[in-house]
Order: sequence, then C-alpha cells, then structure tokens
Amino acid sequence: MVRFLLSRLLRAAVTIVLVVTFAFVVLRLSGDPAQIIMGADAPPEAVDAFRTAWGLDQPVWVQYFHYFGAIASGDLGRSMRDGREAIVLVAERIPATLALTVPALLIKLLLGIPAGIYAALHRNSAVDRALMVAAVAGFTVPSFVLGLLLVLVFAVQLGWLPSGGQESWRHAILPVATLGIGGAAVLARFTRSAMLEVLGQPYIRTASAKGLTWRAVVWSHALPNAAIPTVTIVGFMVGSLIAGAVVVESVFSWPGVGRLMVVAVANRDLAVVQCILLLVAATMVVANLTVDVLYGVLDPRLRTGIRRAGAG
Amino acid sequence: MRIPRRALLASSALLAAPAVGQSDPRPQVSVAVQNLATSNTLEMLLEQSNVGTRIFRNYVEPLVDTDWTGDMSLLPGLATAWRRLDERVVEFDLREGVVFHDGSPFTAEDVVFSFGPERMWGGGGREVPASVPQTARQAFPAFERMEAVGPYRVRLVNSRPDPVQIGRMARSIAVIVPRGAFLAAPSFMEWARRPVGSGPYRIAEFRPDRLLVMEPHDAHWQGRPPLRRLRFLEVPEVSSRINMLISGEAEFATDIPPDQIRAIESDRRFEVAGGPINNTRYVVFNTAHPVLADPLVRRAMSHAIDREAIITALWEGRTSVPRGLQWEFYGEFYLRDVEAPRFDPAEARRLLRESSYRGQPIPYRCLNNYYTNQTATAQILVSGWRAVGLNVQLQMVENWGQILGGEPASRGVHDWSASAVVPDPSVQTVGSWGPGSAVWRRNQWRNAEFGALCEEFDSILDTPRRIAIRRRMLAIIEREDPAYAVLHRNANFTAKRREIGWRPAQSFFMDFRGRNWGA
Repeated sequence: MVRFLLSRLLRAAVTIVLVVTFAFVVLRLSGDPAQIIMGADAPPEAVDAFRTAWGLDQPVWVQYFHYFGAIASGDLGRSMRDGREAIVLVAERIPATLALTVPALLIKLLLGIPAGIYAALHRNSAVDRALMVAAVAGFTVPSFVLGLLLVLVFAVQLGWLPSGGQESWRHAILPVATLGIGGAAVLARFTRSAMLEVLGQPYIRTASAKGLTWRAVVWSHALPNAAIPTVTIVGFMVGSLIAGAVVVESVFSWPGVGRLMVVAVANRDLAVVQCILLLVAATMVVANLTVDVLYGVLDPRLRTGIRRAGAG
Repeated sequence: MRIPRRALLASSALLAAPAVGQSDPRPQVSVAVQNLATSNTLEMLLEQSNVGTRIFRNYVEPLVDTDWTGDMSLLPGLATAWRRLDERVVEFDLREGVVFHDGSPFTAEDVVFSFGPERMWGGGGREVPASVPQTARQAFPAFERMEAVGPYRVRLVNSRPDPVQIGRMARSIAVIVPRGAFLAAPSFMEWARRPVGSGPYRIAEFRPDRLLVMEPHDAHWQGRPPLRRLRFLEVPEVSSRINMLISGEAEFATDIPPDQIRAIESDRRFEVAGGPINNTRYVVFNTAHPVLADPLVRRAMSHAIDREAIITALWEGRTSVPRGLQWEFYGEFYLRDVEAPRFDPAEARRLLRESSYRGQPIPYRCLNNYYTNQTATAQILVSGWRAVGLNVQLQMVENWGQILGGEPASRGVHDWSASAVVPDPSVQTVGSWGPGSAVWRRNQWRNAEFGALCEEFDSILDTPRRIAIRRRMLAIIEREDPAYAVLHRNANFTAKRREIGWRPAQSFFMDFRGRNWGA
C-alpha cells in the first residue's frame, strides 16, 4: 500500500510540474503580458520598463528557473496588475467559489445518485423515462443558458431572487442551482448506467437465487459494485471544486476563483494564472489519488492487486 | 504554501453586506459596468483607460475641469482662474476652502507634490512603478516643473512652448492628491488601490474585479453630493447587466449594444441614454508590411469602406461618420470642409490597378468585440475590401500582445479607437501619431513631413498658423499617405430607470455630481 501511495504521489508531482510548465510556456508564447497590461497606447519606453521590472526581458528558460526557484521557497509571485501576492488574491476568492461549488456538489450527490438508482431499479417505467429525459436535458443545456433561464424566471419575471453579485445568501441560490442541476443530471445518467450493468451480472442472479431479499441484493451486491464508476465521476467533481464554476461565476458576476482566472488569463497576469493552475492541478491530483484509494476499498480485487504488486 | 491569515479572515466575510445609514434621505445608486478598472487600481497614473475615465472624476479632481455633459469646454476646477505669463509658463489661482477626503486642506503644496517626483516622475525617495514616469512624460511632454508662488497659487513651467499647456491640466492624469495621505500610504500600489482625492465622493470600498463603493464627501466645494451611496458593480455579461437593471438590482447598466436598445425601451420603466462620444473607431495600417508600404493600397482600402452601411446595419443609425479624426469641440481647429474618404469602389479599384498590389494576402488582426460590434464591423470591412480585389485575411486574436506581436512585417491592419480629451488636436494627433508616439516608435507609420509639422504644431501659439498646419496634417495622414481609415464615431449607451434625471457625457465619464442629478 505504501509503495502504491508513493507511486501515485510521484505521478501526482510529475502531473503538477507538467501542468505548470505547460501553462508557463503557453502564457508567454501567446501574447506579451507587458503590452496587454499596459495597452496599445502605452509608450514603448513604458512597456520596456514594465518588462524589465517584471523580468519579462529575460529568456523564457531563465524566467522558468527563477519561477521554480521561487516556488521552492514558497513564493508564488505577485500580480503584475496591482502588485499584490498572487496567493493572497487567489485565497481571497476560494471561499466565494466554495460557497457555490460545495452546496452544488451536495445537490448533485443528493439528487443525482438516488435518481440514477431509482431509475435503474425501475427500468423502462414512466418514472425512469421522465428522470432520464430530465437528466439529458440537464446535462445537454449549457450552464450559461440554464443560468440565464433561471435568472429570467426567478429574478426578472418573478422577482424572487437577485440576478447576480454576492451580497447575501440569496445571491448564491441561482448559481448553486445552475451548477447543481447540471451535475446532478450527469450523476443520474452515470449511476443508472452503472446500476443497470451491475444488475445484469451473474453474481446478482446468484445472490437472488440464494434467497436474499431484493433489498439486500441491491444494498450488499449491486450498489458497492455500481459505486466504482460513480466514484470516478464524483472524484472529478470534487477535483473541480476550485475551478469548476468559471462560466457560472461569469454569468452571475460571482467573484470567485473562476472569474479571477478569466480576468487573469485575459490580462496575462502570469503569477495569478500559474497560482490558480497550481492549485487546481493539486486539487485534481488529490481527488484522483483519493479515488484511487477508494477503488481499493470498494473493490477487493483491486486491493488484492495492490498487495500483489507490493509483494512482487 | 503560505496563506496570510488576514486574507483568509477578509475572505470569510463572504456574503456580508455592510449596513448603511438609513437616516440619510439621499438615494443609493448601483451601476452595473462591464469592467471596473483594467489595472486593478484607481490611480489614474496607472489607469489610463476608458473604464477609468468612467469613474475617476467622481473621486479625484484636476485643476481644470471639463464641461462633460455640455460642450466639453474647459471650466474652473480646483483652479479658479489661470493666465499665461509667457510661452512656457502658466499661472493658476487655486480654489480656497477645498478639503480632501482625509480632512486636510487643499493648498499649492498638494499641487506641487502631485506633479512631483515622489508620485509622478520617480527618484523622489519613494518607489514609483516603472511605467508611471513614462506615461506621465507622454501626457506632459514639455513639463519642467510645478512651483508654488503662494499658498493658493502655482506656476506650471514648461521646457518649451506648449499650446495645450492648460488643456493638459484637465486630463485624468492631472488630478491633485493630498501630500499627507499619499505619503502615509505604505507604498505607491497600496495608495493606488485606495486613493484619496477631493472629488464629491470618497472611496469607501474597492474590491478589484468586483465592486467599487463611494460615499459622499459632504464637505465638497460644490456642496453635498446628491447620492448617499454610489456603487459600481462589475458584471461582465451584457445580458446579466440588463437583467440587474430589470430586476431592480441596479439603476444603471452600462455598455449596452445598440441592438439591445429597443428591447430595453419596450419596457416603459427604462430608457437608454447616450449617443456619439468623443471617441472615434478606425482601422490602422502598418506600413512595415510590404503590401501596405504602398500608399495607393491604403488609399484603396479607405475608399472601399462603406461607413454608412456599418452605421445603419450595426448601430441602427445612432452614430455618424466623422469629418476625419476631429471633433466639433476642437472649436476653431474643427475643419468643417474636411470629409472622411468617400465610399467609392471604382476609385478603390483604380488605385489598386495603379499600385504595386498583385493579390498578396493582407493580415487583419482582430479582437473579439473588444470594441462594440467589432467583429461584425470587421466582417463588413473584409467583404468590402475583397469586393474591390484586396485579399484581406481576418485573423481573430485574443489580446493586444498578439495584435502588436511578431515581426513588424507580419502585421497588416488592426482596429483601434481614438479619444479626444482636450479641445485641441495636439494631444490626440501629435500624441498618437507624431514622432513621440508609440505608433511612430514601433515604425508602424512614419511620414517625414508630418513629423516636422507635429513639431511645429506642438510648439507655437499662433492659432492661424496652427490651423493651416492642422489642415495639411489631416491631408497627409488621411489621404496622401494614410496611417488609418476612420470608420465612425463611437457611441456609448447606458440603460437606466426612466425617472432618474441624469445626462450622459460626450465621453465614457459618468457624472454623478449634483449638477447632473435630477437634471
């Protein structure tokens, strides 16, 4: 198990380095940050002074080694727009994003998984069909369309809820609903498919033939096996908690990490973008690692495989 | 990874809205804007942008004011009067009784400090961002010093004659800040995020990319401001801004595209204010490109632009074709007999036949609606150019770095806009196209005669001679050796609740002072 975890951690570290390296290079090859931040009217001397002040006049490989040297000492750089520490800017936004994504994740789990299980257990019933129609609609409608639709109904027409901003808990309802509905639809589809596949397996027939109640078959044999693909999707959703609301934050003017990333990318505010990507990559990697461990917990065959790999 | 505790505590104030004094009967106004500030600061030495122009005059003031909602003429501001002592020196009488937001009185010392090394030029013992002195030098090319000659009198001394010496004192970059408050800030950037001024509103809260809250400065020299609270909310999506207006969360929604005006005004509660402003949209040529080095090609391109079609199709006729790059408020420098090159495909084809052009591709780098209707305008332009035989290739790019990046010869045409900020062509024409301009120094366009005329235009006070020079400059830069082709005057539209008496300016500035409220 230790070797398994170490190998996963090593892979995670390599993934993070690759992500940050890719972002570092692409951001510098796709537009001069000095010209972007200073604007087209800026005197060339001002642009040059800006480049020198931020080390952008150095070769990219020199900038790259400086950057990784700074990371090693805990310095993630400063925003080129207002001079503040990138980590402070990002940390300020994380609670706002989590205020949307965590409740939305709960909605996804509480709506999506039961709906998928129920639909699978009542395959081809009217309820199954209705749930699946709703699920298909939920995940095919883009979040910005769904968000604007909810605003049109609940903010503009009914006047029950605010349409954007972040001033009270009421402002969070529509963006949370937008994120939650789409994700619940995805989970419902995946859970139903996984359950249907498991319910068709011989061991389910065997369990039934042994005289177990249907409830016991479902709880003890079907659900744990169907959980594996569902855990994969949930793991991805957990990994997206930090940067999974980019579009919704823009539609609802919600000042979270997603909005910060959009603005920082547009302005090539390098330290801020790199800081966000580092955070997102780390979150995703940790989520994947957790999912890998959960696989082992859920599937005895994988545990055996891990032990064998460890023994060999 | 270190996360300062203070930042976490501040961010945990999520969803909290501060209560405001309800006893004040003045209204609170919320304005939904696309962008609050491009630099994430409120210091005009860093924020030289259209969005900065929208807000600045509400919290800081220059010596010379502008009649924003009138004819854009110059008015007394923090200076009550001024007089030219000689070709290089202008003296200003300062307004007495002005109080800054921090309670300190406004004096000549603050004016001298605002134009001094510690804030503007560097080398004054405090670190100034590297770009600031360069930006200031472009704004005040002949500045030598500002000196106090009494507690309420200053002299602006130039190194050479400057006909726009007074007009430059009305620019956003020329605002006056209190010396004490500036020096009390830990750094320039700390100051820039929350500057102190003398304007009718003070900065109460600024959260970059999110929110700017101003509260009234009741000791303002023009009297109590009309609003209890003025909030600018950053709402990037136009549909979201309109929704906020309709749902009552905002009283104003800015940057409204023309095609949304009818839909908004179909609800009698709302109207859209605004129209043409002192900003002109144009396309600019890069003469370092081998094809565009030939002025005949550029002239042909200008004649192949159907400007009226753009205005009719995309602006619903709500703006106009300017008489070249000039505005009415230039006064005696506004040449009424000058016209933009007419739409004449036959003439364009004739010029192309005479030119060296043989069908080579001409790159046209375009941002995705950085300007209102930009992409659709570009499509109309390309279609007009292709119709006369020009192989213009539209290249959608993401940012200004990509527009201006790469080898000079790889750049062809790109979009731009020009604002007039003072009633004299010098700042716009010489500043943007003369030998000191970014364009000139990028070698994007140069013309020896034009350069010499700029030098003369910018250094003499003889108005008839300057008018004659101006005429010749327009002939060169728009017809003989075009640096650009004007498209249309830009228009700025703001949706608002109909019952609010408020007039838009001929600029991006939104004036919430007493004289423009209930108007």
